[in-house]
Amino acid sequence: MAEISQDNIERAIRTTAATVLRNEHYFSDLDGLAGDGDFGTSLATGFRVIDNEWDTIDKSNIGAMLLKISMLVSKHVGGSSGPIWGTGFMKAGMLTRGKESVTLDELADMLGSAIEGIQARGGAQLGDKTLLDALIPVHEQLKQHAAGDGDLGAALCDAAQAADEAIDKTRSLVAHRGRASQVGERSANTPDPGIVAIATILQDWCKEYGVERTPVAAELAKATA
Amino acid sequence: MKKFVNDPAQFVPEFMKGIALANPDLLAFTPEFQLITRKGGPDNAKVSVVQGSGSGHEPAHVMAVGPGMLTGACQGAVFAAPPVDACYETIKACASDAGVIVLVNNYQGDRMAWDMATEMASADGINVRQFWINDDVAVEDSTWTVGRRGVAGNFFVIKACGAAAEQGKNLDQVEAIADKVNKNVRTMGVALTSCIPPAKGTPIFELGDDEIEVGVGIHGEPGRRREKITNADAITDELFEAVSKDIPFNSGDRIALMINGLGGTPITELYVMYARAHELAEKAGFKIVRNYVGEYCTSLEMAGASLTILRLDAELEALLDAPAETAARIF
Repeated sequence: MAEISQDNIERAIRTTAATVLRNEHYFSDLDGLAGDGDFGTSLATGFRVIDNEWDTIDKSNIGAMLLKISMLVSKHVGGSSGPIWGTGFMKAGMLTRGKESVTLDELADMLGSAIEGIQARGGAQLGDKTLLDALIPVHEQLKQHAAGDGDLGAALCDAAQAADEAIDKTRSLVAHRGRASQVGERSANTPDPGIVAIATILQDWCKEYGVERTPVAAELAKATA
Repeated sequence: MKKFVNDPAQFVPEFMKGIALANPDLLAFTPEFQLITRKGGPDNAKVSVVQGSGSGHEPAHVMAVGPGMLTGACQGAVFAAPPVDACYETIKACASDAGVIVLVNNYQGDRMAWDMATEMASADGINVRQFWINDDVAVEDSTWTVGRRGVAGNFFVIKACGAAAEQGKNLDQVEAIADKVNKNVRTMGVALTSCIPPAKGTPIFELGDDEIEVGVGIHGEPGRRREKITNADAITDELFEAVSKDIPFNSGDRIALMINGLGGTPITELYVMYARAHELAEKAGFKIVRNYVGEYCTSLEMAGASLTILRLDAELEALLDAPAETAARIF
């Protein structure tokens, strides 16, 4: 099975930072529809620090790097997104201590562990209209490809597809967690900015690694334009 | 706003530097993580007791570091949880073969930061556990909590756990003591004025000249209600009623009674309140074994006070009696 090198994971993180910084205002605008409008800025504040401190981050192995990123995200991303996203990186980092490459199967396990950690930290479940509604189907796709063809490009494309679909699938739902849950019914018929962010990151990864894919959800098309 | 502040962003590290310089034989200061530990570090034969939370509650947290109390503590910015890396470094700096107990006041930000730090430290092989303190009877859920808030009762949890650790109790035993104190301690506060975080420069909430906030949180969070100020006895009656009926405490209980100043109230006013609280406790049939009047957990310069009752038994009385040495002391 194809290995994913540390270099590729580093590229993915730098691409993620670029995605988040480019969409700082757009993600906040989306959050403003039902939440408190700070999501894009909060996320960008943290990823700007990662960008600025990139050269000093410990890259002796994948786990050490992800644990450091977890600390920076937890510390600098404002609001509840910091510990939520930070926990995801922490769980992925704990599974990759000392590793310089991972298989697709291991990548799926990293995401699976991140999902468990995020659920434990924030208490959200599938259908609560949070980023988990994107991450859980993405995890399913990674597992299926890891068990099946082992094709990294196809796995990434289907993962991006799953996150893209999550935007429209959850649009009509009422948020049950996070700030948007406080406005109840008003959160229906607005996209969840966390789900849009995950879909945008995956779409940008597709582009970075040369995987052809056209966005479907309107917000994703706008965020990757 | 008139305050003794240089750069508001440096307020926390500057006061921590002062605490460290004033206690050279007692404390060691790590500016990078806003962390203060006992000089000489942890003792591998004893459980380490650590804490860390937002600043603005002094002497709570860092000023409670010293033999018989905390092993170490880190500070966040004023009223903000410490970052995960500071919590993680605090656990590492206090790592002991006998284990580490983290006493966390129940606020979402603090819990999330310590949760992550505890997980990371556990993965490093450090034997570390958390315990959440929630003694405030004012409200069931609050601005930054699911469940009750941790306030001045925090002092008793630290004191009892610190003494137990000093006596060589193991991690299970220290945790059981934390649980016993937390289950038997209740607090409620009242604010006469708001307070001004240095970096904000303006009051965190508005309170009319003739108004008080009953059940206020130590970050200025709303309590039970806002009402017109009456007099010291009436306010003390209301706090005593709310606190004593909560567990409830029973006639014949041996108790510690605390009147804690929130930062801007003179000690004399606290003693006016203590006199009333003392009489109420006696009338209720409580036996006051120990009393505490002063500042234990504050909210910057907020004028106000909280009343805490802790139900004692022989074990807790001995732990409260045990010697301790911290930066917060008056001789």
